[in-house]
Amino acid sequence: MVIHYKCPNCGADMEFDAASGMLSCVSCGRKDNIEDFSEEFITTTFSEDEAKQYNCNNCGAVIITEADTTATNCSFCGAGVVLGDRLSGDLAPAKVIPFTISKEEAMAAFRKWCRNGRLTPKGFMTADRVKGITGLYVPFWLYDLDSKADVKAVGTRVRTYTRGNYIYTEKKFYDVYRDIDLSYVKVPVDASEKLDDTLMDKLEPYDYQKFKDFKTPYLAGYIAEKYNFSDEELFSRVKTKVQPYIDSYIRSTISGYSSVNYKSKNIRTKKTKAHYVLLPVWMVYYDFDKQEHTFAMNGQTGKIVGKPPISLGKVASWFGGIAAATFVALKIISFAVGGVLW
Amino acid sequence: MSRRFLTLSILFTSLFIFIFSIPAVEASSKQYIYDSAELLSEEQVMELEDSIKEFGDKQETDFIIHTTNDTGGKSIKTYMGDFYDEHAFGYDQPKGNTILLTVSMDPSKREVYLAGFKKGEEYLDNERIELVLDKVTPHLSDKNFYQAFQQAISTSSDYMEYRPGVNPESLLLKTWFQLVVALAVGGIIVGIMVYNSGGRVTVTARTYFNENNTRVNSKRDMFVNKTVTKRRKPSNNKSRGGRGGGGGITGGGSSFSGGGRSF
Repeated sequence: MVIHYKCPNCGADMEFDAASGMLSCVSCGRKDNIEDFSEEFITTTFSEDEAKQYNCNNCGAVIITEADTTATNCSFCGAGVVLGDRLSGDLAPAKVIPFTISKEEAMAAFRKWCRNGRLTPKGFMTADRVKGITGLYVPFWLYDLDSKADVKAVGTRVRTYTRGNYIYTEKKFYDVYRDIDLSYVKVPVDASEKLDDTLMDKLEPYDYQKFKDFKTPYLAGYIAEKYNFSDEELFSRVKTKVQPYIDSYIRSTISGYSSVNYKSKNIRTKKTKAHYVLLPVWMVYYDFDKQEHTFAMNGQTGKIVGKPPISLGKVASWFGGIAAATFVALKIISFAVGGVLW
Repeated sequence: MSRRFLTLSILFTSLFIFIFSIPAVEASSKQYIYDSAELLSEEQVMELEDSIKEFGDKQETDFIIHTTNDTGGKSIKTYMGDFYDEHAFGYDQPKGNTILLTVSMDPSKREVYLAGFKKGEEYLDNERIELVLDKVTPHLSDKNFYQAFQQAISTSSDYMEYRPGVNPESLLLKTWFQLVVALAVGGIIVGIMVYNSGGRVTVTARTYFNENNTRVNSKRDMFVNKTVTKRRKPSNNKSRGGRGGGGGITGGGSSFSGGGRSF
């Protein structure tokens, strides 16, 4: 099933516009609200051998896709098409955060970010070798989690006091027990195989206020993927993700001790809900020094992550500068205090 | 202002005299070394006097070395005080700026005592004298008297450069330590910059926290037992040689800083 959006005015291809949040016509500029876009201009076709091949509704060419792609552009005529059957049933996302940063804004923000790189080589800062920028809807699972923690620990309070010629150190040991209910909501875990997990983790947080009920027109003109891993398969990953949060909460409930020695920490986490959502990411591919660097930008907040090349010369000069400045400052302080320079 | 001018003019005048007067006359006018125990050769005395003159011009303080075989039954501190009163040492005036190093070779008890008067008292206080003695006493124990005295002169001169009250051996004032700190600060900051160049994690434990369903159901903090250990208060007089510490006032009424050891 291929879904394609035609402009009711002029018949040209329509795409999702990040600035207005509406479906807009590239040709005549008509904008339509996605919630009430008329069904008659959505052409859907079912091809007989869908598992293998999709045909563009616009020009009839074969749409070449990967197995995970749910939205793409026709490689022949460029029309944005959505592969509806890969977004239905179990594969239907519940919510989507539409792009709020357009391609031009993303590009401008990326160039600005490159210019600000304090450790990146000079040639990189001009950002003139950007190979491509792709708007990608990345599949995420948002987990609602309930955890129960049983914690047994020994808390120690240390007090020192002086009596006569002796210094006394008094250690009091306490048997500490905590039974805690913890709850975390909408913890995101990226469900795409292709994208680097640490890169995606750094893109957070997304503003969940902007979630919209999923409608296929949001994907028009962008690339979208379906999830590769189910919520069950990714459950262990979300557990490791909230583990440090749980630990820090437990620590915050045990106060007033000089040291705490955990005897047992029994944490049971269960999933109350998992929402399948699509989150917007701009992927930027940049060729520099015969290497391809991949950057990701949060399509909602504009936060950019990804390892830029590091210039050794710049690292050295920053290091030298900071060390020299610190040394001079220390010398000035020691001269002010001691009255001697060397 | 006028006082500074005065000290400057004194300094320049004395320099002037030092350069243009006949050295023999200058040398005979002041005696710095009273070597009654005969620990030094004539050549060593001459060299020490050169060091002392250099020290004196720099610190405006006379450095006196006094050795004896017999303190006449007095404590070395009293003996030193009487000697100072008797000779009325001083760079600027009688009973003025002086550092007085007394070495007693009394067979029953070999002792060293270092005292500072006037500027010497202010710039070479009890703590600094202990630090000087730390460096000097080992040479005395090895009977390297010439080396001990040179060490005493140069170390005292170094220490008197520092503002009073500052520990001149403080790690914070050492150039190598400052260099290490500077390199560490540079390394840490640049390290953080490199680490964060790929973007930072900005979510915290609070981001996905749902406080409505988070609660402590039950808690228990039960006292089990306690242990008490005691140790003796560290006393100030570390038992390193015999120490007659602290400075005081001479019979003639001059106050001084001081410290002594047996060796």
